[in-house]
Amino acid sequence: MSLFDIWLGILKGVGTTAAVTAYGLLFAVPFALGFGVAQYLTVGVARLLVTAVIEFWRSSAVIILLFVFYYALPVFGISLSAWTVSAMVLGLNAGGYASQAVRAGLQALPSGQKEAGAALGLSRPAILFLIELPQALVAMSPTFVNTVIQLVKATALVSLVTLSDMTFRAKEIAQVEYNPVAIYTALLLAFFVVCYPIALAGRWLEARIAAPGSRAGGI
Amino acid sequence: MGFDPAFALSCVPTILSAIGTTLLVAAVSCFGAATIGFLFEMARRIGGIAGMASGFAIDFIRSTPVLIWLYFLYFVLPFYGIRLGSMTVGIMGLSLYYSGYLAEVFKAGIDAIPKGQPEAARALSLSRRDTVIYVIAPQMMRNIAAPLGNYFVSILKATPYLAVLAVPDMLGRAFDIASETYRYAEPLVVAGLIFLALALLISYGVKRLERRLLAGGTR
Amino acid sequence: MLAQSDPIVGIQGLNKWFGALHVLNDIDLTVASGARVVVCGPSGSGKSTLIRCINGLESYQEGVLRLAGTTLGHKARETAAACRQTGMVFQSFNLFPHLTVLGNCTLALRRVAGKTRSEAEDIAMAHLEKVRIPEKARSYPGQLSGGQQQRVAIARALCLNPRIMLFDEPTSALDPEMIKEVLDVMVALARDGMTMVCVTHEMGFAREVADEVVFMDGGSILDRAPARDFFSASGHPRSRLFLETILRH
Ligand SMILES: Nc1ncnc2c1ncn2[C@@H]1O[C@H](COP(=O)(O)OP(=O)(O)OP(=O)(O)O)[C@@H](O)[C@H]1O
Ligand SMILES: [Mg+2]
Repeated sequence: MSLFDIWLGILKGVGTTAAVTAYGLLFAVPFALGFGVAQYLTVGVARLLVTAVIEFWRSSAVIILLFVFYYALPVFGISLSAWTVSAMVLGLNAGGYASQAVRAGLQALPSGQKEAGAALGLSRPAILFLIELPQALVAMSPTFVNTVIQLVKATALVSLVTLSDMTFRAKEIAQVEYNPVAIYTALLLAFFVVCYPIALAGRWLEARIAAPGSRAGGI
Repeated sequence: MGFDPAFALSCVPTILSAIGTTLLVAAVSCFGAATIGFLFEMARRIGGIAGMASGFAIDFIRSTPVLIWLYFLYFVLPFYGIRLGSMTVGIMGLSLYYSGYLAEVFKAGIDAIPKGQPEAARALSLSRRDTVIYVIAPQMMRNIAAPLGNYFVSILKATPYLAVLAVPDMLGRAFDIASETYRYAEPLVVAGLIFLALALLISYGVKRLERRLLAGGTR
Repeated sequence: MLAQSDPIVGIQGLNKWFGALHVLNDIDLTVASGARVVVCGPSGSGKSTLIRCINGLESYQEGVLRLAGTTLGHKARETAAACRQTGMVFQSFNLFPHLTVLGNCTLALRRVAGKTRSEAEDIAMAHLEKVRIPEKARSYPGQLSGGQQQRVAIARALCLNPRIMLFDEPTSALDPEMIKEVLDVMVALARDGMTMVCVTHEMGFAREVADEVVFMDGGSILDRAPARDFFSASGHPRSRLFLETILRH
């Protein structure tokens, strides 16, 4: 097998990696926004519940979550495909992290913003959607970019639950070809060429936001 | 066949017996990651070729999954005739991977020290060495204590990855039980809960530490 | 050896650039032993850069800067020894936040002057008494007000027994009610005969203690005069204008 063949073999898995990432984002983004906002708005018992859900997804070891949901859900009579389990677990784990950025972004806004909205006679939801979230989302966009990177990297785990992503393909090749240096270097590089541009974009975004004179609406 | 709480309970001692392994692996890896990360950051600060190489290494590590690093070391080292125990390889992998993150922690911890501090030290004629030992290092330590604690939790949550390399940690034990009894749900759930509890406990400790450092004002 | 009458600072034709920016332009300045020089001028005129050159925090490209008989920037060891003769007080205090007041004052005594801990503490306490804050010796900087912090910073700089004290706008980061306590300490220091170069816009202070007022703009010294002349009508038109602006506030 030539180096080129190894590359080609690994790239066969890129579709799965991309699909799990995209599917995972479908869980991550709504969870982050919904629970981040909920944690910001709620108090007392409600807040405790919201926090418990976030902490469950965020503070658990993601590899164990994946196995638990993959092996244990059927025991409770719920069977989901490996795809759905992977996307859900990886997505909600990443979403748990991102929800903290959402909450922090909202909390960091000067309270004058909320008060100015109220003084204009806006309802609470209107203040949230028209004044607070647009500003907070800009501030937390670099964190969101990081979450995407974390998610892409976490998809390497799905090879452990039989999905044939890039990591799975690499291990497949490793079984027929004893050339670990080439195979795993290629695999590392494959992730690097995907994640590094995203990281650079995140840095650019961060610099834009930090730049003096940058406006929230300018991005 | 539902979830059997009694069986789950019976799994606890076996799984918990590996908690020492888990904590040891996490502590040693955290120490290794901090050491390598510190060296990376120092090299980056020196600049020139070493600085660029180090900066690139940090970016590369952060753009690739920890699982692949573990595979890489596990399969590539023997290829070059280096035979190490799987726990050693696992610790090396976690140390290397998290060094990329800890380098950034050191960077932030040093950057947060106002420029006036080394200047005041120079105005007092302190040598460079004394400036580092008595002025920079103590302030850096205070700045990194909390983020370092948080990364310790991250590393702790990454230790079950080592089960993939057949290290008998808590997840490894859970799989041992599973393969003996053909019951996956109970041991995995137990392992997951233990990790969650550990993570929450240590995070809570870190938060208290952080609050104490902040409450001390500029102390 | 330095004769008593030799100036502590002798600057001739000093030029400094930050990249393309010409921040110090042909500066000539002499500070005799025991002299009190006040430097003023608009923001960005190079005042900080000038006094940071005097204690070696900044290097310069052209001209001669002699400090305590040594030309700075030639031989590293002699430059370091000469710079040890200076004490510096910054606008933003720059106390070490992780050390107590006493720790701030004794650090250089122990590490630079090679004193034992108890010797260093005795010296430090004496200076803390001078700035009237001995009771805060065991406090951390974060527990002090701005005025108290700046007085500690002065004590810290005095501990190494400098021959000249440099002040860079020591009161401009302070609330008005704290300015006086710091200025009082500085006036007392001047009365004791300390040689001082002080960047400040506190014209009351300048009038009271300065022998000479130097007015800088655009990196040059535009006007220099004995204090009483500087405040009379005879000054340079540019410094008159500047005086009027700051005195109006
Ligand atoms: N490290 C530096 N690198 C580049 N330019 C600098 C640097 N330090 C100062 N400058 C520039 O040199 C000029 C003189 O600065 P300096 O701080 O000496 O002025 P100043 O008279 O002390 O002003 P202020 O009253 O604001 O403190 C300014 O234009 C400043 O922007
Ligand atoms: Mg200045």
